[in-house]
Amino acid sequence: MRKDSGQPAAPIRRVLVANRGEIAVRIIRACHEMGLQSVAIYSDSDVSAPHVAAADDAVRIGPAAASDSYLNMKAILQAAHDAGADAIHPGYGFLSENAGFTRAVGDAGLTWIGPPAATQEALGNKLAARQAASSAGVPVVPGLLVALAEDQVPDMTDIGYPAMLKAAAGGGGRGMRLVNGPADLQAATTAARREAISAFGDGTLYLERLVAPARHVEVQLLGDRHGELACLGERDCSVQRRHQKLVEETPSPAVSPSIRQALFDSARRVAGTVDFYSAATVEFLLDPDGNHYFLEMNTRLQVEHGVTELVTGIDIVAWQIRIAAGESLERAVLEPEPSGHAIDVRVYAEDPYEGFRPVPGAVTTWRAPDGPGVRVDHALVEGMPLSADYDPLLAKLMVHAANRPAAIGRLRRALDETLIGGVQTDLGFHRWLVEQPDFASGNYHTGLVAEAWADGPALGPEAASLAAFAAAEGRRASVEQRTPASGLPAGGDSEWSRTARREALRQ
Amino acid sequence: MKDLSIVVEGQPTSEAAGWQLTWVERRRGIVRLTEGSRSQLALVEGSGSDWFVTLRGRRIPVTVQSWRERVLAEARLAAAERGGPVEVRSTLPGLVVAVNVAEGAEVGEGEPLLTIEAMKMQNEVRAPRAGRVAQVAVSPGQTVATGVLLVRLD
Repeated sequence: MRKDSGQPAAPIRRVLVANRGEIAVRIIRACHEMGLQSVAIYSDSDVSAPHVAAADDAVRIGPAAASDSYLNMKAILQAAHDAGADAIHPGYGFLSENAGFTRAVGDAGLTWIGPPAATQEALGNKLAARQAASSAGVPVVPGLLVALAEDQVPDMTDIGYPAMLKAAAGGGGRGMRLVNGPADLQAATTAARREAISAFGDGTLYLERLVAPARHVEVQLLGDRHGELACLGERDCSVQRRHQKLVEETPSPAVSPSIRQALFDSARRVAGTVDFYSAATVEFLLDPDGNHYFLEMNTRLQVEHGVTELVTGIDIVAWQIRIAAGESLERAVLEPEPSGHAIDVRVYAEDPYEGFRPVPGAVTTWRAPDGPGVRVDHALVEGMPLSADYDPLLAKLMVHAANRPAAIGRLRRALDETLIGGVQTDLGFHRWLVEQPDFASGNYHTGLVAEAWADGPALGPEAASLAAFAAAEGRRASVEQRTPASGLPAGGDSEWSRTARREALRQ
Repeated sequence: MKDLSIVVEGQPTSEAAGWQLTWVERRRGIVRLTEGSRSQLALVEGSGSDWFVTLRGRRIPVTVQSWRERVLAEARLAAAERGGPVEVRSTLPGLVVAVNVAEGAEVGEGEPLLTIEAMKMQNEVRAPRAGRVAQVAVSPGQTVATGVLLVRLD
């Protein structure tokens, strides 16, 4: 039904990973498991980063600023040439959805491990994707199907208030504005347009009715170059701050078998509007009545792909590579049999007690959780400074268990095993979340963080006195370590010498 | 190290009673806190008076000061805040062995005012801020207890 629009498939032996951090490490691991060689790229601030150490080869591509390194197409193509790579995997973010780069990779005679450029172009613009989905019979949020012209006063009778202004080129919540009523419209339009121009260089806006409360549910797709398309299941990504995901789980507690079939059907229809292969995700809003509305299709690997891998046993990254090399999807992928429940929490260097503001610093201590059903994708080493040039994602902590209550119990256990020192992280938020009745029941929506968390609960008197106790013990222990008992070697740990040291400290 | 003065989120806080702390890994500050059947891992980081304790993912800044450090810090704070008269008091018991300034003298911040010997150690008492010496309340050879007025600055 679909013709192969990309480059002819060629064997892949040596993969350049055009990314950094945990996703680069994750892709390098997939390469090694498949018997392929890996090439990392790095900026000047990543010389000793884990993804560089993990790869078979590594090439410097420029200074720390992303625009000079991980977004520097010319330098990356040169690195691929110099290192003898025959394929490029972009990961997520950076150049992963840049059709110009995808084409340049093909023009350089390299295999692009991702959807073809034409697919990225057709779906990269949210308004164009919305039009295509609507034409394919997929429900979209009621609203404009064409761009909002400058100074246009739209007819809001069918849309209604509150409404959402969105940028056609948008992503990550930028260029979005809530409009509560006619009086807000003009100011919101001006602000959203200004933000969209500065973030994307494109001020095209459209308008949708606000769906609230809503859940954010997405469908994972894998397609091969021979027209086969697999739906690997849905993920619920409703725990968000600033329209960005914090927690993802599969299956969604809100998705019944009939809703799932409807979501899969819509996802297939959206993918059918383009020549698609590789991995992609179709995102929907789900309202409390079980109606779904198309949001966008992301033509790349998603951050949260791991939970789908845990329940299906399908290695999505390995399949991206196999698909790029021309392999056909196997029956096990076309008819996945998901088992159990998986949850992913994103560990960010952000302060959840101060509006999830990114925090500078270095991770001084990193103790990862372990044990049955726990997967941690990370690129952390103790002492590594956090660079303001890149995303503050530190790790993805994933759990898999037989059912949702067991998965939540496992997540709580894994969080209790995890320690990160040196910076505040959002682990405090996640630890709070696993004890929320609305999370336990699965009855939550995208407003959860803003409404129930805000800046988190105040520090209780017990936690404060426990912190006081632990800090005082820390201080007493540090003094004890630095002060050799008079006339005795430091660390002589007989009861007598300990007593002598305590006595000395009291004076 | 008795009489530690502990401040958590700006509030003087006393140490939790009944809890036990076991070092899991001292170098990295990993501890286990237990009380009866309750137990949790935590992280204790810091040095001197500045500490951070991470409990269930929440990184809590804690100031742990000896009595002497607290008095000094309060004096510094008061001097900085008010800019008015500052009373310099003894932070440890001892013998005044030298007085370096006379009434009416102008001193700079950190300038030695007098020396107190305690535990066979000479401890210099310095000006918490610049100012004029309004009063010298002690003289060499005098024994002072803690908290005694030594010098008043205008």
